[in-house]
Amino acid sequence: MIIKVDDLMAFLRNSVLAESDLFQEVILPLRLKEGSNMVSFLSRLGASDSYFLDGFRAVDPIKLVFYGAREQVYPVAAKPVQRLIAGVKACDLKALQLLDRALINKDFIDPAYKVWRDSTTILSADCTEAGPACHCTLVGGKPYSEGGFDLNLSRIDDSYVLTTGSDKGRELLEVIQCTAVVKDLEARAQKAILEARTKITELVQSRNSDFLRSEEYRGLREGDMSVWGKESRQCVGCGACTNICPTCYCLILNEEGRTDTFVKVRSYDSCQWQGYARVAGGASPRPRMRQRFRNRYLCKFLYMPSNFKTLGCTGCGRCTEACPGQIDFRTVVRDVLELPAPELGNPPGPNAQEKREV
Amino acid sequence: MPNPYEVIPATIYDIVQESPLIRTLRLKPDLPIRFKTGQFIELSIPGIGEGPFTPSSSHFGSDVMDVTVMKTGFVTEHIHKARVGDRVGLRGPFGTWYPLEKFEGKDLLILGGGCGLAPLRSLFLTLVDEIKKYRSITFLAGAKTPADCLYKQAVSEWQSYPGVRFIRAVDAIPAGENWEEDVGVVTMLLPKVSVDTSVNPAVVCGPPVMMKFGTFDLLKMGFKEENIYLSMEKKMYCGFGQCRHCVMGSFYACKDGPVFTYAQIKNEEGLWD
Repeated sequence: MIIKVDDLMAFLRNSVLAESDLFQEVILPLRLKEGSNMVSFLSRLGASDSYFLDGFRAVDPIKLVFYGAREQVYPVAAKPVQRLIAGVKACDLKALQLLDRALINKDFIDPAYKVWRDSTTILSADCTEAGPACHCTLVGGKPYSEGGFDLNLSRIDDSYVLTTGSDKGRELLEVIQCTAVVKDLEARAQKAILEARTKITELVQSRNSDFLRSEEYRGLREGDMSVWGKESRQCVGCGACTNICPTCYCLILNEEGRTDTFVKVRSYDSCQWQGYARVAGGASPRPRMRQRFRNRYLCKFLYMPSNFKTLGCTGCGRCTEACPGQIDFRTVVRDVLELPAPELGNPPGPNAQEKREV
Repeated sequence: MPNPYEVIPATIYDIVQESPLIRTLRLKPDLPIRFKTGQFIELSIPGIGEGPFTPSSSHFGSDVMDVTVMKTGFVTEHIHKARVGDRVGLRGPFGTWYPLEKFEGKDLLILGGGCGLAPLRSLFLTLVDEIKKYRSITFLAGAKTPADCLYKQAVSEWQSYPGVRFIRAVDAIPAGENWEEDVGVVTMLLPKVSVDTSVNPAVVCGPPVMMKFGTFDLLKMGFKEENIYLSMEKKMYCGFGQCRHCVMGSFYACKDGPVFTYAQIKNEEGLWD
């Protein structure tokens, strides 16, 4: 199915303005400023014509919409409102897949996350641009979605090709068809999607050609500690990387009741903070910044894969973008895997050796 | 599925001051909490916070639970301010338990120090409730000074059970305190143990340094890695593997533990920190 971009945007704008029966809340990415290709889901500023579904992923991760920075989980405060979120990119959908495994499984269901997840329809969109830190292709991702959405948009000239991914998506398509012209897809458009997808994939690949792919990250744990120390020298331990990461979900559970009522509120925590793993009495498994810095990488590429059968990194590059120390995740991984430890005069690790031989 | 954050309120019906810094709260939850010995619960003070503690009573106690708490931080300070009749909140039980079926017919060694005696008291009292199932129990308990010894009133009763050896040691005897039992770190009691180390289980709980050297000594004595059970203390915040504070590599202390065999976790980083 195919729809004119203007027609779809008109439908979405109307959904924002008028409360439809289907959605009580519509969340659309807004340009951060006029002419900018940077968008934000949380931005409530700007004229409505600055909605922008294409480009690359939003500045803020989609987890904010499903897993709030601060939410009451006992008694559950989240009330189901039917929501539509549009313009979600593949990296964020992949993150959602990991969060689903972590927060809705046979042993545990996060009550608030489940409420938000069940009541939200996701309209995803293929990337048409690559951000400066985008690197999904390094970690097994693609700049377009093949699953995890309710309805997906692929931009072809002045139209969107619509692909349904669920019953919710088919229902949404029916609603769109009531107010806008939706035509059947021609073979020519199929070919155009493939071409556009190949083009954007190649763009991300070429921008990251100097860096290592996740298949090569196996030696991270064995990487020399002094290299981690060097890499973390610019790290101030602020936790921006973990707070903005779409797959980080570590939480602090606060007790906020009174006298004899109990209220549990969860908020984001960060493994980069000193008190994170400290136990009563003061012992901590990671008292030094370099240990906590390293922990984030091991969590993404060793621990999360072992827990959830998927990498903890989706290649969105937000950690690199948010870092006040301008630490680039990609160079850290490369350095740890490839650099010998110069201060100590250590020989290169086994992985560096292999790399050179290849 | 019920809300995993559900809190069951409980009333403190008795408080036992065990040592200057350690007390045992005796709790009656509004709804019975069925735990298995070795599992832990989250105990909260309204508006203050919560922390993970292992019940120190037998898991056969149907509608009451003891929790032994050392005053060592913000939450525990408030727990120590609580009075009989006060209300606290409980979540849980969480995590793994001691595999009692594997201890049946065996000579069990229990090695504990300091506040690590809390889960071991639960284990011990649970074992004692079905004492015929076990061949013998050797319980070695350490403390810094005689005043720091836990469960003082129970010692003579514990020592009187058939098949039970309960031996205590203190690190030092400050002036003015009396002590007629062993002096030294608790692992110095290990030579007194005469069990077949190749087939029998050992359970260790205590401060990190004691657990580390205790485990190494047990290995030297011939205990098998898979027969050494450790109760790991990490920052178990949520209790069910969501918050990730207690992660040790790919393991969660809260849901894969707190009871681990040494064989399971020997390669994890920061194990003893």
